[in-house]
Amino acid sequence: MLERVKANDQGAMGEFCDRYGRLVYSVALRVLKDPSQAEDLMQEVFLQVWRNPGAFERGRGTLGAWLAVVARNRAVDVLRRRKPNDSVDDVVLTSSTNLASEVERNSMMEKVRQAMGGLPEEQQRSVELAFFEGMTHAEIAARTGDPLGTVKTRIRTALMSLRKAVQA
Amino acid sequence: MSEETHIPQEDLALYALRELPEGEAAAVRAHLAGCADCRQEAAELAGDLALVALGAEQHPLPEGARERLLKKIAVDAGETGREAAPKVVSIEDAKPVRRIYMSVPWAAVAAMLVFAFALMMKIGALNLEVKQQSALLAQQAAASSRAQRVLDALTAGSAQRVLLTAAKTKPAPSAHAVYVASSGSLILQANNLDPLPTDKTYELWVIPADGKAPIPAGLFRPDAAGSASVILPALPTGVAAKAFGVTVERAEGSATPTAPIVLAGATGE
Repeated sequence: MLERVKANDQGAMGEFCDRYGRLVYSVALRVLKDPSQAEDLMQEVFLQVWRNPGAFERGRGTLGAWLAVVARNRAVDVLRRRKPNDSVDDVVLTSSTNLASEVERNSMMEKVRQAMGGLPEEQQRSVELAFFEGMTHAEIAARTGDPLGTVKTRIRTALMSLRKAVQA
Repeated sequence: MSEETHIPQEDLALYALRELPEGEAAAVRAHLAGCADCRQEAAELAGDLALVALGAEQHPLPEGARERLLKKIAVDAGETGREAAPKVVSIEDAKPVRRIYMSVPWAAVAAMLVFAFALMMKIGALNLEVKQQSALLAQQAAASSRAQRVLDALTAGSAQRVLLTAAKTKPAPSAHAVYVASSGSLILQANNLDPLPTDKTYELWVIPADGKAPIPAGLFRPDAAGSASVILPALPTGVAAKAFGVTVERAEGSATPTAPIVLAGATGE
């Protein structure tokens, strides 16, 4: 599909939206909690793909995973009312998670939700505050009253546990 | 690079979350440029974050979102001068090469090919640069236009300035709304709001003067100090308002307000 985008095929962007629009919009909505802002953000991310389809390379995990992280980062920029401080090119990730089809996405979401649900409450909360609420670890520490180091360790441990659970 | 000098995993996780202060992030970036192990670990942590993103509840796209996106793409294609992909011409359709070319010395042909290739590379690099600059300009233009609208709304003589106060006697919560009906511009600044559980949100409503149904004007949650703002939510233009209200709704918002109205203010017109 990206090959067709590279060839300036506007129709391919329609298919792109059908396949990944819901994922990108949902991540943006979870962070911004405003449907209008979330749609604006989805448009911005897809416009970036249209303008620079070469930004995503196959070596960078799967397209769906990449888009989800790009959408989250942009949404947090909006939340913190700061200018986007990196381009989509800067997002490099390794992921074996294939999110190209609805079935694969649903199956992976179920796994992730179960894995998240299985994390200790404080780890789960730290990751959610950092990832979806865009809070810095210092802000999380201030809210929870825990030392900074503890918050950092919780986030790292939660991510590792999540990776193991999904790979299992 | 030795084991001792690797970036701790905790910091790599914060880097992937883009939580490190710019100074520390720059140091990590510099380290990653020269350390394949840390680069791999950072990429895997970023992959883990994609999994967290999947934990977000999935919502359907708003009605018409796909069409709006494609319209923007079409406009962008026009502005940036992206042309359709070149047509593939079959061998049969191609004009026959004149025999005279076959007599050009091979060395000259090779030199021309090398020159043409170098030119193509240069053109490709320049095109990429133009594209990046155009994208940057478009982003800055959008940011500037939004800032101008905020300024226009705040300084407009026709703006309705309304003080919203708590419907009951509790002293603290209050909000100020600035609304310009002709452009549909609305700015709300609220203070001393009560915190909400994670499954709830505040929702702002415009109550039309013509008695039609309240129009949702944005979801918001207060920060730790109880402050929140709604800046230029998507609203129809030309709707005269007789009042504004704020309700508590479920996290994804509601199409109609749920009683009680926690903050309300009339335009006085």
